[in-house]
Amino acid sequence: MREFTVGGRVFRAVDDVSFHVGPGETLGLVGESGCGKTTVGRLILRLLPANAGRIVFDGRDVTDVPERRLRDFRRAVQVVFQDPYSSLNPRLTVRDIVGEPLRNFGATRRAAAARVGELLDTVGLSPSYMTRYPHAFSGGQRQRIGIARALALGPRLLVCDEAVSSLDVSVQAQVLNLLADLQRQLGLALLFISHNLAVVRHVSHRVAVMYLGRLVEVAPEGILFEHPRHPYTRALLAAVPEVGPDALPPAVLPGEIPSPLDPPAGCRFQTRCPRAEARCRAAEPPLVEEAPGRFVRCYFPEPEPLRRVA
Amino acid sequence: MTTPGALAARAADLDEPAGREFWRRFGRSRNACLGGALVVLVTVAAVAAPWLVPYGYENTDLLAVWAEPSRAHLLGGDALGRDVLSRLIVGARVSLVVAVSVLALTLTVGTLAGMVAGYFGGWVDTALMRSADIVFAFPELILAILVAAMLGPGMPTVVVALAIVWWPGIARLTRSLTLALRSELFVDAAVVSATRPFRILVRHVLPNIVPPLIVRASIGVGFIVMAEATLSFLGIGVQEPLPTWGGMIRDGLVALRTEPYLALSASAALGVTIVGFNLLGDGLRDLLDPRVRDR
Amino acid sequence: MTALLEVRDLSVSFLTSRGAVPVLAGVSLSVGEGEVVGLVGESGSGKSVTALAILGLLGEQGRVEGGEIRLDGRDLLPLPEREWLRVRGRQIAMVFQEPMTSLNPLLPVGFQVAEVLEAHLGLGRREALARAVELLRDVGIPDSGRRAQDYPHQLSGGMRQRVMIAMAMACRPRLLIGDEPTTALDVTIQAQILALLRDLGRAAGTAVLLISHDLGVVAAMASRVVVMYAGQVVEEAPARELFSAPRHPYTRLLLAMVPGVREKRSRLSAIAGSIPAPAAMPAGCRFHPRCPDAIPLCREAAPTLDAHGPDRRVRCWRADGVRP
Repeated sequence: MREFTVGGRVFRAVDDVSFHVGPGETLGLVGESGCGKTTVGRLILRLLPANAGRIVFDGRDVTDVPERRLRDFRRAVQVVFQDPYSSLNPRLTVRDIVGEPLRNFGATRRAAAARVGELLDTVGLSPSYMTRYPHAFSGGQRQRIGIARALALGPRLLVCDEAVSSLDVSVQAQVLNLLADLQRQLGLALLFISHNLAVVRHVSHRVAVMYLGRLVEVAPEGILFEHPRHPYTRALLAAVPEVGPDALPPAVLPGEIPSPLDPPAGCRFQTRCPRAEARCRAAEPPLVEEAPGRFVRCYFPEPEPLRRVA
Repeated sequence: MTTPGALAARAADLDEPAGREFWRRFGRSRNACLGGALVVLVTVAAVAAPWLVPYGYENTDLLAVWAEPSRAHLLGGDALGRDVLSRLIVGARVSLVVAVSVLALTLTVGTLAGMVAGYFGGWVDTALMRSADIVFAFPELILAILVAAMLGPGMPTVVVALAIVWWPGIARLTRSLTLALRSELFVDAAVVSATRPFRILVRHVLPNIVPPLIVRASIGVGFIVMAEATLSFLGIGVQEPLPTWGGMIRDGLVALRTEPYLALSASAALGVTIVGFNLLGDGLRDLLDPRVRDR
Repeated sequence: MTALLEVRDLSVSFLTSRGAVPVLAGVSLSVGEGEVVGLVGESGSGKSVTALAILGLLGEQGRVEGGEIRLDGRDLLPLPEREWLRVRGRQIAMVFQEPMTSLNPLLPVGFQVAEVLEAHLGLGRREALARAVELLRDVGIPDSGRRAQDYPHQLSGGMRQRVMIAMAMACRPRLLIGDEPTTALDVTIQAQILALLRDLGRAAGTAVLLISHDLGVVAAMASRVVVMYAGQVVEEAPARELFSAPRHPYTRLLLAMVPGVREKRSRLSAIAGSIPAPAAMPAGCRFHPRCPDAIPLCREAAPTLDAHGPDRRVRCWRADGVRP
């Protein structure tokens, strides 16, 4: 749980969010603006302190551990950010950028440079690039550099915060394929945060959907996309425009996302939910495990799978 | 998203090494070139003073008292028969020595303070900023005069007084730049890579705040030179027999109507120097501001 | 269908410190009355430059090297700025991607809409403000009388985009150009805005040129699609045909590279390499270094945009032999 104070009012960017990520698997975290998914990422990376709750990595509780004793954790959990332009220091060479984690853990300059060459090769860039500066590269290449940096210490979990969202389609495909290959080769677990449902579907084994700071549904990928139970998940899927010859216009979910500073009482989705009833306004539904691995936060989850238009 | 024109322009510029590109753009900036030329002129005069001066700055010549400009004394003589040109050139040295000392002092102290305040926040930040506020409460020159008066005249006093007046501006600038940088993603990436705070400050924050600091410094030198001249004019700055432009103006005021060359030449020198630094600062700011680059 | 907008052989370059960089090379496209045409491409394809050229907004560094832009048969390119002012906003309007930077943060939104009415239709202040409130209601802003007094920062992204659309449609233009109008919006809000654009366009008979890198958006809205790559048009076809049987290898790959939300693919196709820099265009076909179907002819000679059927044009030597 994470609170922020804005203009004197406290709001919970993230509340009662619980999930787990197993080794070598990808959990997709999806949602629209204000849902708190980026905050979750930053909390897990210990870039933000949590106000309540626990973060447990590999059996160890790392929620309140002071920075100087987090070194093993830092080695194992790394990040790839969204913006390839501000995630690389424009004044450092690629060698310095990718080598920084290595130097932090005692590598000599020469050893670090050698390893940087290997890492660049792993992400599909020529090792000769290490003498250049970030501005010489395209967005896709910079993102690869960011991935190389993230891999430097041999992490077990990679937090990808909108890692492909600012890339062109062709570059996005390259980077997604790269991530898939790396996951397979290195047994990496991924926490893939994105607002793009199609991309999330493509990379994830399991998916968690957030709305206004809460988890509203968690399920394995195939099940979530074929039979979403939460009305928001269904609306979200229906709103994604289809790429195809007989594409239906995307279904419209009316209303605006409420301000996180002033969330509705009771269920947070009731202002836009087609099935909202008095019960929903009275009290917020709990996150219930309906089947092993399937969680829904709704009093009236949809019983029918998504119908296909033939 | 930048405009298509900017993208095309940037694509064309990518292959050029960054250093050469800077000098090319420098060459095209009128401000930077003119300012730079003036600054170089004054600096050369200051550095090469011992070789340039026709006479020692202390040498008096009774025959040259209030002398008109002539071949022997290109700018004439002052009240004690000293060569004005020589004193002018040595005065340049005095001004620049003071300016450089003040800059060195304020840049080290101010940058350090600002970075620490900006990055760590907390009580350090509050303490630093309150001290800066106290200094800001005083008009700059008045404060300099007060401090100089308290410490007694002389070059060290001038340097200290001006440094005290000027460091908070640097500290404030550094602090806000650091605050802005702290939220950059590459700083987050450094934290996640287990980089220690000191290292983050040196490697990630400092190189990125240097350009605005350079601009601020070059614009500020104009103020420092002016302030030093004022203190000398008032008699509480650098003392005789070392020549200062401010002192020369004061000495020349007495005879302004009949023998203007002393006061006028010192004023001109002062003006040229300050304008030179200001132009250079303006030019550098246009060159170094990343927003202006995306024409 | 008579062409409302016809762009013929448009070439544009930008002046940089290194000389003129060509950005568009012989772009031709047309939009009929009331038609919705989608313009698709990745960054560097030149789609935004095309839109800016149509509105005469290329700026000081932009230079049209050749071609025509005809609105209702009248060539816009030689027009003096005075005449452009009558076209822009009145006959052709544009909605941009980032409403926050397109709206004046210091003026209430109602004023900004009214400004358009005053400038183009000569309405008086009070009348313009009243009409502005109506327009804001038409674009789906609830309680528009009160919200007209809000400042842009008080509105959400979707609301701001609605204001932009109100401003664009205020004079019932013949053509509305949308340059990535929904890219910065959440997907549920995007659906709302797309529905709005479709309804408004239909009601006012306004043609729409919808520019996007998002193939889904284009598939949902456009009846005809134009695909651009590296400053040229490479394929043009009715939407249904383009998506079911693309003829140009780039289009084919583009469709294969986009992950689908309705079904999962095991691996995305990807094209090696990247979009060529304007200064380093490959000889012959601009796409050939990355094309899986390239033959020696592709390197030697640049293909022209040829007709392949009544409504279809493809710029490829192998257009007939390429399997969808």
